[in-house]
Amino acid sequence: MARLQIDRVTKSYGELKAVDDATLDVANGEFLVLLGPSGCGKTTTLRMVAGFVEPTSGTIRLDGNDVTTLPPWKRNAGLVFQSYALFPHLTVNQNVAFGLEMRKVPAADMPKKVAEALRLVRLDHLGERLPRQLSGGQQQRVALARALVFHPDILLLDEPLSNLDAKLRQDVRVEIRELQRKLGLTTVMVTHDQEEALTMADRLVVMSEGRIRQVGTQHDLYERPADRFVADFVGRSNFIEGRIEAPGKFVSKGGLAIACADGPPGSAVLALRPERVAIVGSGEPADNRFEGRVEFLSYLGAAIDLHVRLSPAERLIVQLPNRPESAAPKIGDAVTLAWSRTTARIFHD
Amino acid sequence: MTAAALPARQDDDARASFLSAGTLVGPATVFVAAGLLVPLAILFRYSLNRFEPRRMMVDAFTFENYVKFFSDPYYTGIFWTTLRVAALCTVACVVLGLPLAYALARTQTRFKNILIVLVVLPLFVGNAVRAAGWMTLLGSKGFLNVTLEKLGLIDEPLQMMFTEGAVIAGIIAVNLPYMVLTLQSVIEGIQRQLEEAAFSLGANPYEMTKRVLLPLALPGLLAGTILTFILGMNAYATPVLLGGPKFKMMGPLVFGQFQLNNWPFGATTAFVLMAATLALTATANILVQRRYRR
Repeated sequence: MARLQIDRVTKSYGELKAVDDATLDVANGEFLVLLGPSGCGKTTTLRMVAGFVEPTSGTIRLDGNDVTTLPPWKRNAGLVFQSYALFPHLTVNQNVAFGLEMRKVPAADMPKKVAEALRLVRLDHLGERLPRQLSGGQQQRVALARALVFHPDILLLDEPLSNLDAKLRQDVRVEIRELQRKLGLTTVMVTHDQEEALTMADRLVVMSEGRIRQVGTQHDLYERPADRFVADFVGRSNFIEGRIEAPGKFVSKGGLAIACADGPPGSAVLALRPERVAIVGSGEPADNRFEGRVEFLSYLGAAIDLHVRLSPAERLIVQLPNRPESAAPKIGDAVTLAWSRTTARIFHD
Repeated sequence: MTAAALPARQDDDARASFLSAGTLVGPATVFVAAGLLVPLAILFRYSLNRFEPRRMMVDAFTFENYVKFFSDPYYTGIFWTTLRVAALCTVACVVLGLPLAYALARTQTRFKNILIVLVVLPLFVGNAVRAAGWMTLLGSKGFLNVTLEKLGLIDEPLQMMFTEGAVIAGIIAVNLPYMVLTLQSVIEGIQRQLEEAAFSLGANPYEMTKRVLLPLALPGLLAGTILTFILGMNAYATPVLLGGPKFKMMGPLVFGQFQLNNWPFGATTAFVLMAATLALTATANILVQRRYRR
């Protein structure tokens, strides 16, 4: 268990900067998730921490020691791969024992430690099986046990859940998170799945095009996204393009005058979460009220998405909770949308 | 469909799949049986016959040809030379081929196909041409000797042609591509992430190779080893052309006996060569698989 410091790390491949000037500080016992679309640099960052990729510049410190140029086998990092990468010619026990053997743990202590690690992931009864005789979920847990058995300073998870089916994924998320808390392990996970990131992380790092866009808790990212990319990638947003004409007054391309938080005048983008927009009756007061017509409707089960045309240039997605007592509008219905001035986020281009 | 119709239908299916399997396997089987097994049986029968200089082959049922082979140091000497050369060539092919195959399998370059063609290039050259090449390199007035003399490192030309060393070098050059190609295709099938997993668990490159790469590449290593060993044991042109008249291996010996019209003894030497090759290959196979099956 240790603190991980990534200090101004850059990785260039020729002209391309896979990771551009990344700085991160992961506290002891913290679960940090690197989130972003494919090619954003999150995996390269993880591989630099693991030691498979050497940074072009910058330093990586583990527990205060500079490990920037240390080969992977000299870093005490447990790694779980997307494909699990279990050794197909070794049994579950032998897979888990591999890290102990490399650390010259006495043979007499080995079975006990292996059994302990397998018990942690509730697979101690399958030690004699070969990986191909296990289900995907079981293989994933063996990979986890193999990475934990030698008490790594840091646990690195590279999209560990993306090969599991949706139902199992939800269980394993909780399982990994509880295990990580129990062991107090500093953990860095890479994922492109925002739901996974939000459920598991203490803190999240949103990356795109090699750069860190924002670091923060779920609440920070969702309520105060730093830029348009984060507002779009974490949760959903409606984006309305336009200009701030005067403090607190935004005029959209389609000509809607929208009351918003104060900001400097100039061209801007207004971001609005679909579930923060309400459908109101004609008499109710609100900072912003706009008439529109429902053009499209998706029934999602727990919620209903309405696509409401406000002007020729603007169509908003509005998410309503699906309640039996209130009849949802239908396609073609006229509705009134309302939101308060502080609901929308303003981004300047 | 009625219940009675079902079994009949299954019979038809079974017959159809048997027929299609038969058509797939049949031609090759017939070819091998007619072209290899039948002549082998005839040859084995010949090896039990007797040779008389005037009457050539005489019908008999005797093992005296085999006794002659194993009791004459001249022939057992040739046998051991052949074994030694084949074994040395195989070991050299493994040692030289493994790193080459690994690099070839793991390279990301778009010139990969060209690299593979380069590996196979020695096989494009015919035996006689290749031997001529070795002569210009190793002969007493060859490139190496002239260079060494000019540099003042030697006074007399070194005898490099017509030595066992020349034969071994020649066979390695021919066999290496087989080893490299076999290994390369197997290593390409080993997930790169397995190597990384081993590294992350604390294995250095040596331990990773020993514990992960080699066991997983074993099928290819075995196939490549068997292939190069068989080719080495049965080498004909290279020992004749690079070994000269005094250097003897089994391949040329077999052919020589047939040239002398001594079919019974030629058949005997052929069978000794084949049996030894088969026995050693099978033994190595069993030993290696037992060692790694855990």
